[in-house]
Amino acid sequence: MIRITKLEGKTLSSTITKLNAPLTQAFDCQLSSESTIAVAPTPTMCSVQAQRLADFDTLTAALEYAAGGTTGYNFYDAKGNLRSVLSYQALRQNAQASAQRLSGLGLVRGDRVALIADTTPEFVELFFACRYAGLIPFAMPVPVNLGSHVVYVQQLRGILEGSNASAALANVDYINFLREAAEGVQGLQWVGTPEELGKLPALDVTPQSNQPDEIAYLQFTSGSTRAPRGVIITERALMSNLQGIVRSGLEIRPGDRCASWLPFYHDMGLVGMVMAPMVAQVSVDYLATRDFAIRPLQWLKLISRNRSTVAFSQPFGLKLCTLRVRDSDLEDLDLSCWRAAGVGAEMIRPDTLRNFAEKFAPAGFDTRAFLPCYGLAESTLAVTFSKTGEGFKSLQVDAGMLVDRKMAVRLQAEGRKYNEFVNCGRALPGHTVKVIDDAGQELPDLRLGSVLVKGSSIMTGYFNNPEDTLRTLQSGNWLDTGDLGFLFEGDLYVTGRRIDVIIVNGRNIRAQDIEELAEQQPEVRTREASAFGITDVNDAMTIVLVIECRLTSVTDRQSLTSRLQRLVYMAFGVNCLVELVPPHTLPRTSSGKLSRFAARQGFIQRTNLTDHQLSAESRDN
Amino acid sequence: MATDYNDILLRLCFHLKQFTSPDVTIIPETDLINELAIDSVKLLNLVMEIEDEFDISVPLNALADVQTVHDLAKLIHHIKSAK
Repeated sequence: MIRITKLEGKTLSSTITKLNAPLTQAFDCQLSSESTIAVAPTPTMCSVQAQRLADFDTLTAALEYAAGGTTGYNFYDAKGNLRSVLSYQALRQNAQASAQRLSGLGLVRGDRVALIADTTPEFVELFFACRYAGLIPFAMPVPVNLGSHVVYVQQLRGILEGSNASAALANVDYINFLREAAEGVQGLQWVGTPEELGKLPALDVTPQSNQPDEIAYLQFTSGSTRAPRGVIITERALMSNLQGIVRSGLEIRPGDRCASWLPFYHDMGLVGMVMAPMVAQVSVDYLATRDFAIRPLQWLKLISRNRSTVAFSQPFGLKLCTLRVRDSDLEDLDLSCWRAAGVGAEMIRPDTLRNFAEKFAPAGFDTRAFLPCYGLAESTLAVTFSKTGEGFKSLQVDAGMLVDRKMAVRLQAEGRKYNEFVNCGRALPGHTVKVIDDAGQELPDLRLGSVLVKGSSIMTGYFNNPEDTLRTLQSGNWLDTGDLGFLFEGDLYVTGRRIDVIIVNGRNIRAQDIEELAEQQPEVRTREASAFGITDVNDAMTIVLVIECRLTSVTDRQSLTSRLQRLVYMAFGVNCLVELVPPHTLPRTSSGKLSRFAARQGFIQRTNLTDHQLSAESRDN
Repeated sequence: MATDYNDILLRLCFHLKQFTSPDVTIIPETDLINELAIDSVKLLNLVMEIEDEFDISVPLNALADVQTVHDLAKLIHHIKSAK
């Protein structure tokens, strides 16, 4: 019954494997001749068939169509050389070949398969192989920090357990971490590399076609301390969101080409820059996240050289470009082709966009390309998009009114303190956004409250987690995003996370404002301050500000602590507790955001907090 | 081999010096995070300089096991000699 088949796809796949060989193998001299094979990237325009914009039932159906064309994925190395080409045609062939091997593992339809998501052709092949085999794939992160071995393995184990994964794969660079994490995990039947999978017998079965109601994939959302949660996305929800993205959000047209450094384990990287281009048969040029982080210029060079029209980034990525690209590099760049510079995945500060635009204007960057959007994994990816070609718009609102009255009042006079929020646009077709108050009442325009979303791309729930599902998916299938914001003329303005609002004596203070204040100090870096509230038995709220701090001298530390307390008092009229902790103490989510929720949990654990201690003065450990 | 390592260590320390205040003494046992305060943005710059200086590519998975200056020098040596 089990037949070992030699598939055409194998040759191509193994060539790609070698071309994109992890560094440990790349040193092998035998490979060096192969890795210099001159290959051209897939073309921007497909000349053999018409463009279809996500009008498919399932992901594999979309790939079947894309495989009829000439477009696909291209992977570039740190120096900007093309390392491997994976046309949609080759992807289909290789994914089907791997699907037969996955079928040979004896897994049951709907079983979960964990994939460590490095930016490689193998990851994409395996992801689609799972879909061809009726399995549910999900992406796991790669380690990024110095000395993060132990924490990383813990994180992997949490996800493996939370997903009840039946199989797990990683390339040779990460397989040791994976094996370590997999030890003792129940139900895990097979752990290996793509090469090891390639050596297994292929089961020659005709795959059952996927149905729109089936689960397409899981997306894990949380960071290192809280138990990770797997968002369940069905084929129908996925295609609905992809359709919204490529038709309404990006208005994809012939001639579009994407360039991306976003990690494949992040929803914006996977849904936005792997699946969305494929369902519209658009070519993509990839740079590994690590390579972008070290040399952000390479991403811009890719856009410039291949005349990319669509490229997304978190605000932080734009900041890296602004900070680290030299003015002398600008001469070689022509960014005038870039029509949709999507920005999302974290709070967008107008200054980040202005600084980027100013820096890259000499290289032809058109500020009208900025395309702020809002979304979350629980709604597949995208919820709102601003209008393409119009740049970013923002609203300056009175800071005092926002805190005291929860109202966004447009700034009337100069000199008042204000907050500026970026317009994230309106909901995709088939989706509705509303803002509610604490009592659940829907609020009118310009009133600050919780942001809820309803629509066709909302998750089914969190995998094996009915409690959190119930808490997040409210009656009428309204998804509580956990974000705060307001609507104005149909457009959404996000102002922060809800846990981020600390209510002291009836006043709403945005944790973000306190953190920004801290980050203005020379000793404190961006993303290294976390503020939250703690209540004591009398329901009195204390603001806690945790700072990752590298200062060693007692005097310096004391000076920072008292200065912060003074500044917070001056700005908000409240006392706060300042805790200085070593670097890398604050928990981050898989996308690198600080998790205030987890920071708060960590603080409570560290301090073994009893209510009496709350009145004590600032801690310094 | 020992000479190679020492040479790497010397050149590495030269680069590390630029990321820290002048009064810090760097020895092989120095902890990169706690003593030299190499944060994520500094790390990116450091890796870029190392890659340019030694003409290598430093894989992320290897950095997860790097804590000290010695660890880093050893890693560079390992990558260079595997080349």
